[in-house]
Amino acid sequence: MTDYLELAKATVNKAAQNGVEVEVIITQDKETQVRVSGGEVEQLSQSGSGGMGVRVIQDGRTGYAYTSDLSDDSIEQTWRTATELAQVATPDAYRGLPDPQPIPDEDLEIWDASMQDVPTDRKIELLRQIEQATLDYDERVVATQWCTYQDATSHVYLANSRGFGGQYGRTTAAAYLMAVARDADGHAATAFGVGASNFFDDLNAEDIGHEAASKSISILGGKPVETHVGTVVLDHFVGAQIIAAISGALTAESWQKKRSFLLDRMGQTVGSDMVTLLDNGRMKRGLASAPFDGEGVPTSATRLVDEGVLQNLIYDSYSARKDNRASTGNAQRNGHRGMPSLGPSNFYIQPGNMTRDEIIAGVEKGFLVLSGMQTGGIDPVTGDCSMSAAGLWIENGEITGPVDGVTIATTLNDFLMNITAVGNDLRMMPLFGIIGVPTLRVDHVTIGGS
Amino acid sequence: MIEKELAGKILREALKTGADLAEIYVEDVTSTQLGFDDSKLEQAVHGADRGAGIRVFFGNLVTYAYTDSLSENSLLDAAHAAASAGASSAKTQLIDLTERKSPLVYPVEKELDSMRIEDKAAILHRIDETARAYSPLIVQVFGSYGERVRRVWIYNSTGLMAHDERTFVEIRMGVVAKKNGTMQRSFRGFGGQKGLELLDDNDPTAVITEVAESAIKMLDAIPCPAGEMTVVMPNGWGGVLFHEACGHQMEADFITKGTSAYAGKVGEVVASPIITAIDDGTIPGRRGSLRFDDDGTPAQRTVLIERGVLKEYMWDLVEARRVGREASTGNGRRESYRHMPMPRMTNTFIDNGEHDPQEIIESTKRGIYIKQMAGGQAELAKGDFVFNATEAYLIEEGKLTAPVRGATVFGNGPAVLKEIDMLGNDLALDPGMGICGKGQSARVSVGQPTLRIPKVQVGGTDEPVEGVMG
Ligand SMILES: [Zn+2]
Repeated sequence: MTDYLELAKATVNKAAQNGVEVEVIITQDKETQVRVSGGEVEQLSQSGSGGMGVRVIQDGRTGYAYTSDLSDDSIEQTWRTATELAQVATPDAYRGLPDPQPIPDEDLEIWDASMQDVPTDRKIELLRQIEQATLDYDERVVATQWCTYQDATSHVYLANSRGFGGQYGRTTAAAYLMAVARDADGHAATAFGVGASNFFDDLNAEDIGHEAASKSISILGGKPVETHVGTVVLDHFVGAQIIAAISGALTAESWQKKRSFLLDRMGQTVGSDMVTLLDNGRMKRGLASAPFDGEGVPTSATRLVDEGVLQNLIYDSYSARKDNRASTGNAQRNGHRGMPSLGPSNFYIQPGNMTRDEIIAGVEKGFLVLSGMQTGGIDPVTGDCSMSAAGLWIENGEITGPVDGVTIATTLNDFLMNITAVGNDLRMMPLFGIIGVPTLRVDHVTIGGS
Repeated sequence: MIEKELAGKILREALKTGADLAEIYVEDVTSTQLGFDDSKLEQAVHGADRGAGIRVFFGNLVTYAYTDSLSENSLLDAAHAAASAGASSAKTQLIDLTERKSPLVYPVEKELDSMRIEDKAAILHRIDETARAYSPLIVQVFGSYGERVRRVWIYNSTGLMAHDERTFVEIRMGVVAKKNGTMQRSFRGFGGQKGLELLDDNDPTAVITEVAESAIKMLDAIPCPAGEMTVVMPNGWGGVLFHEACGHQMEADFITKGTSAYAGKVGEVVASPIITAIDDGTIPGRRGSLRFDDDGTPAQRTVLIERGVLKEYMWDLVEARRVGREASTGNGRRESYRHMPMPRMTNTFIDNGEHDPQEIIESTKRGIYIKQMAGGQAELAKGDFVFNATEAYLIEEGKLTAPVRGATVFGNGPAVLKEIDMLGNDLALDPGMGICGKGQSARVSVGQPTLRIPKVQVGGTDEPVEGVMG
């Protein structure tokens, strides 16, 4: 058995000659993926994979190289390539590796020791149950697509020439599918059901299947409403897309590079007093939790917006050095193939105490948005916010019927300022990072219809 | 690659438990990426990925195992793992491997190493300087250079042995413009399946000048009106609409499951009679082109819709076998050796029509002309699509007038395809930056001539407009 942390340290030592700074990451993953259709297993993939990435910084210039081949020759070629590539980069005095800091000894509950022992048959059975729960929910659910289970046990080994050496393991298990509903009038609708956790036993077949099924049939035959400015209530899938964009405007990099709609508004009110935004890389059972970040800095909890007032940004070591402060431990990494880059960990809006039903009951006239699509319509730079939407119409606190074929539009500024209710049903969604949202009520949104 | 003899040994191992087909996919990818931002070359990354995947078919069950190592032991272990789902003894004989040659030629005229990396970096410095010199309103510039060589070898128990080598170069760039607290972004780029001759045919400084111009123009844009409107879509990248809203629905995995709106509709009228749509994986220089797909099937040109009538879907090996088709259409693609192939588009476009593009705008009384747009997204089953316009103008009395911002166009793909009433004669494929995400990412091209949709939903923050028909 190779000691990968020792291999990472040995590579650091070799490459760090000539006064360059070096960081080496090694990842080793074991993955299972199963796909089921009509009760039959269609696809079964089980394998292990990994590799090494080397970051070299010389005189403020960074080079990076990675390889899937951990032979001696390949490793040497990789760090030599990284060293050569650094010559092309522009010198930047703020570039450097972070000094080692003590990593708090704390169980983040991100390792399911039993995951590897769960027999494949049990994973297949779970997936069959999810599909069955979806199809049994209502006869209008006619098919499923992408009914998939996947899990990974991942190990990260990180070492650098300032003396950092650390490793951790993380397990994740996820299952998802799309339900396809059709009714007698020829209407069609689709919806996703998703479950994800660090622990296999957290996945609940009925929850996942019923979510997909109930959403898909509820929007069948929806019609546009008249174009007007009104109230929307946002489901997790929809709110998460908007909160994800907002997270992009709260990184120090987006400010330093002038790419944030919130630029230069530190200390100001940017949202309603119901809006508290947090990033927590140490959340227990957080899908993005880890003891240290992509460059070995301990992760932390950061309060970015407190009751509407902008208080902080997230930092990696580069942006922190530039602003003369400490990193918040938000250097993210895409395995060994990516250089560390600044981004949110478990980023979420703090839940309130109303249930979704209570929020709906308080809406005189409004639109419960269950699904939405957007492609660049939600922009953390310009603050534009528009998407297509489908869901249910609310009249006097009651659901009256499906709505489809409309758009919702606001600006991210107005979105934050017009949040008038926050639910107690926080859900962490795996979506370009891990984004947590409860049900949200937002007023003064343009609903574009007929 | 691996020796023919070793490939035979691995395949025999994979067939041992009763499979009806076994396959080895070997891949070697090297890539270099330079990233420029905030007036600095910040990223210089080189990657080397090599590995193999063993796929074994037992009827409709497909099992897979992959490895980062091409050693005999690792490959045998993977074959063993993939075969472990079988329970009987060998029933399929390995047919002698014979290499197939492709007649398709995708020239790389200037090798990637014919230019020093410093000179590649200099292109990005030039982009930055050009944009900043264009106007003080340009507050941020970024650019990237990417090159990638992907070599694949496929061996399967029917005796197939095929090789493909795909070389890509691409340059992306963008700016942020700011005036009185209003910000606007604009992006563009170009790329292709070719060598550095790409740089002879495209001038990065001319492109970044257009990008800067577009962002500054859009600073003065008025909010986009909301409601139903006539929309004129641009040629080239505008084809992303067909790709998203209709193309995905013609991929065989959505057909065999009955998810797609087009399932069971071959031979039926699904589009306006002026529409012919094609997926062509054999166009030299294009990102979606293949010699052999990742199943080892030769790439081909497939007419999907001919004069409004649905003709064919896009098939990979798994879906073709599922329905007992003789052959796939060469649309089996995978992201890497860690993934199994699935049906994917290659280069997909709507063919030329008859109208002069200028005439299309002139005959539109009131509507929106989309000049640039971000990618699109579509929903299956119904085919509802959405895309966001990054540069758009009002059309009033047949003329382009005010730029509008924040326009989200939303409609139903199959319905729009029947409603398109004017089709230009200016077919173009996109500039070569398209990436399709369907669980796995794949390089693709899209294309179309200028076209007009008489009535579609536009989302914006302004009041609704009246009298939308052109
Ligand atoms: Zn796509």
